[in-house]
Amino acid sequence: TGGHTTEILRLLSCLSESYSPRHYILADSDKMSEVKIRSFEEKRSETLSSSQFTLHRIPRSREVRQSWTSSVVTTLYSMLYSFPLTYKLKPDLILCNGPGTCVPVCISALLLRLLGIKRTIIVYVESICRVETLSLSGKILYYFSDYFIVQWPDLKEKYPKSVYLGRIV
Amino acid sequence: FRFKDSLAEDLRRADLVISHAGAGSCLETLEEGKPLIVVINEKLMNNHQLELAKQLQRDGHVLCCNCSTLVETLKSMDLSTLKPFPRGQPEKFALFLDEVIGFQ
Repeated sequence: TGGHTTEILRLLSCLSESYSPRHYILADSDKMSEVKIRSFEEKRSETLSSSQFTLHRIPRSREVRQSWTSSVVTTLYSMLYSFPLTYKLKPDLILCNGPGTCVPVCISALLLRLLGIKRTIIVYVESICRVETLSLSGKILYYFSDYFIVQWPDLKEKYPKSVYLGRIV
Repeated sequence: FRFKDSLAEDLRRADLVISHAGAGSCLETLEEGKPLIVVINEKLMNNHQLELAKQLQRDGHVLCCNCSTLVETLKSMDLSTLKPFPRGQPEKFALFLDEVIGFQ
């Protein structure tokens, strides 16, 4: 969604051509992000050799400030879509930055790992907006990601296993 | 104005921006190099939105106020005290990721 998409596209902006093909997973209710992604990929193809990208949609796993218990239900529902999708794609790397949409995808990847089907590297970058506290996705994925990146020093102190590279968006 | 596609054009022409504490608005404005006054409405906002606004104020990039102190802030502000906002460095992320994945 919105801010998350802008941030993640900035994260992608300096990645080499080796990071292909790219699969973008969006919430079904998200209209704006598709426009931003297509525009980014079009611009990218001007300088880098054209590489593949695909957009996929899954049900939104949580509305803003949705209650915890109903979020579990909606996240499980999203997993009905995210698990088959992740299974099909078997990504080498998952890069996410916090929208609820990323949680079912990462859980799916973890399941694939437990089942011995695919070992995906999960990299989580907490949003620049998060200065002192983590988002809910962040709190969950801090324990389940391979690399957890924060953009402010306060968070690095509070979450010692995180990686601090300064502001990267 | 309500739902313009992009405020980028208006932003470029502005001399001063007064905004709510939304992260997108703040960061876009700062990256454009415009002086920014952030109006905080604690009743309406998520706590976490406040975090960024407060940090930006601490670092000297924006002035913060609330609805009732806005006029006073506008009268007494000294925009020259605002520090330029350095751009983020996604290249550092790229380097980190290359190392992690094992790309040379």
